[in-house]
Amino acid sequence: MASIEVQKISKTFGTQKAVDAVSFTVEPGEIFGLLGPNGAGKTTTIRIILDIFKPDSGTVAVLGGAMTEEKKNRIGYMPEERGLYQDIPLERCLTYLASLKGLPAPEIHKLINDYLERFDLAAHRKKKIKELSKGMQQKAQLIVTLIHRPDILIIDEPFSGLDPINTQMVKELLVEERNRGVTIMMSTHQMHQVEELCDRLVLIDHGRTVLYGKLNDIRKQFTADAVLVRAENPLPDSLPGVILREPLNGVTRLKLARGAAPQAVLKALVAQNITLEQFEIAVPTLDEIFIRVVQGEASQE
Amino acid sequence: MRKFWLIFRNEYLRHVLRRRFIFALLSLPVFVALLVGVGLLAAWSDYDHRPVGYVDLSGFFLNARQVPSKTDNLFPPPIMQSFSSEAEARAELQEGQIQAYFTIDPQYLKNGTVRLYTLGSIKGNTRDDFQNFLRYNLLSNQPQAIAERVLNGPEIVVQSLSSNRKMASNEVLNILLPLISGLLFVVVINISGSYLVQALVEEKENRTMEIVVTSVSHAQLMAGKIVGNLLVGLTELIIWLSFGFLGLAFAQRYIPGAQNLNINFDFIWLMAVTLLPAFVMVAALMAAVGASTSGSREAQQWAGLFTLPIVIPFWLVVPLMESPNSPLAIGMSFFPLTAPVTLPLRAAFTDVPAWQTIISVLLLIACAAAALWLAGRTFRMGMLRYGKRLTWREIFGKAG
Repeated sequence: MASIEVQKISKTFGTQKAVDAVSFTVEPGEIFGLLGPNGAGKTTTIRIILDIFKPDSGTVAVLGGAMTEEKKNRIGYMPEERGLYQDIPLERCLTYLASLKGLPAPEIHKLINDYLERFDLAAHRKKKIKELSKGMQQKAQLIVTLIHRPDILIIDEPFSGLDPINTQMVKELLVEERNRGVTIMMSTHQMHQVEELCDRLVLIDHGRTVLYGKLNDIRKQFTADAVLVRAENPLPDSLPGVILREPLNGVTRLKLARGAAPQAVLKALVAQNITLEQFEIAVPTLDEIFIRVVQGEASQE
Repeated sequence: MRKFWLIFRNEYLRHVLRRRFIFALLSLPVFVALLVGVGLLAAWSDYDHRPVGYVDLSGFFLNARQVPSKTDNLFPPPIMQSFSSEAEARAELQEGQIQAYFTIDPQYLKNGTVRLYTLGSIKGNTRDDFQNFLRYNLLSNQPQAIAERVLNGPEIVVQSLSSNRKMASNEVLNILLPLISGLLFVVVINISGSYLVQALVEEKENRTMEIVVTSVSHAQLMAGKIVGNLLVGLTELIIWLSFGFLGLAFAQRYIPGAQNLNINFDFIWLMAVTLLPAFVMVAALMAAVGASTSGSREAQQWAGLFTLPIVIPFWLVVPLMESPNSPLAIGMSFFPLTAPVTLPLRAAFTDVPAWQTIISVLLLIACAAAALWLAGRTFRMGMLRYGKRLTWREIFGKAG
């Protein structure tokens, strides 16, 4: 059973179509990336999954069916615009929000103590939220998201506004949660984080799905049109299928003609006794794929 | 259901436990008590507890008795002390033992002449008290019931045949009660309403709403907020009214003149059945406003629109009192926003037909239910709209 199953959901606000027939599945225990440029419909998609908005059409199944009150207790959600009650002490805020997730009072007390210790916030428990630094508020928000040990974590832009130390901490936390068996869906446009963390992803733009699948499969879709070569001696003038060569950080990037096999280039280099230090198929970064897809979309319009 | 209680408890306690709330709660009764206290102090400073002397030259008051009075009266009438000669009375007056003395003319029955001798001006009700004393003793041969009736005078009940209107002189509280309760209702609904609007707008603005609605159903959230904030207002109302009744009980016991004030308890239930649904209705409307507007200032302005009709009966209090069965009065008892003040006010002056009360209360309940529905719907659609208000078309159109 998939943790989240989204089937052709659409949502229009006024005249603007925010989400247009988006479908994807999030499998148990994976980190799933929901990507897209600003205004692509990521947050609306998340809100539909969480039953904050009803879709105009399409269906969403969470943990095998429609959202229920019981299921809400099994989901941890961290919105992009972080939200905590500013005027009350940290501990009271955490206790209240944890109680809304169905945790019994004695357990809440113990869990809050543990988390405050772990996140170095124990000394600030009596302070009002508005008196905490931005980083501390981020940590408090994370506690709210994690305290009830959810089965599904949905995090909108987990790294926005974090310094490198806190970014690392959140990353470790996400991996730790995944190792615990938690399904994580994160929406972001920081591609290097996705490359590092995500197993699969969906890329939406203008409310529509433009890429969907395993990270490696997607990369492969966009490879095989260049190789990176570093050699002790100069490369021969003519190589089969190479239409362009350009220096790139000490290596030479050989752009191949459509349909040309990298194997043929390797074979020719070996045949001409070139001593190779590096021969690598140039895999595009997710950033490059993202830009290519999104710009390609834009140019088609 | 458990989460409803959590929301309710949080909403209620976060206001009730604030110092600001406790201050506001106590400031009104303290203010009123202070006013009454100053009044009592002024009366006390004007009150002379020394006996009043009299020299009876007529012979009618030789064995005179004191007029009985309640022992716990704060301002008991002075003791009337008999002197055998004027010289003796004057000596006592000059020594300050008595505040004044009267001489009763030998021809008192014929000419009614009584002379009053004082050193300066005479304070308070001494003249009235002495008059009462004379009357009481002149009537001492009469049966008790006749004597008391003559002393207390008649209880005049004004009955108007044209409007079925009646009013007894000791029922002045029955006019004041709906007016005061109406006023408190307006104050309290404003307080509850603004807390509610504030709670919703605040959660929208600080983005906590998004976390809360992914933990609790919309219905439980809305119900918890409305009931919680409503109870904050009701707590205030009940505490203020309790202070009011305490004050009244005090006045009835200790303050002369207030001892004949009575409350017609029919009002209490009439006010309960009109004020409660009205509370829910206005609170739900306020919640709808809080959920659909984009900022606290705008929400407050809209909320003002609902409280305006509630105070209209106060402006029209004179026509309502004069003709409590006019079409205007009946219309205003049916219109849900004016009913809570109009209906009890009319009931003070006329027997409101049962069918009118029933229709009015049913309309209020129906409107309260409709307002709750509207609040829930507006909330669901408007809660995550930032910086943009909902349109009427969106609210009454397709579900969001």
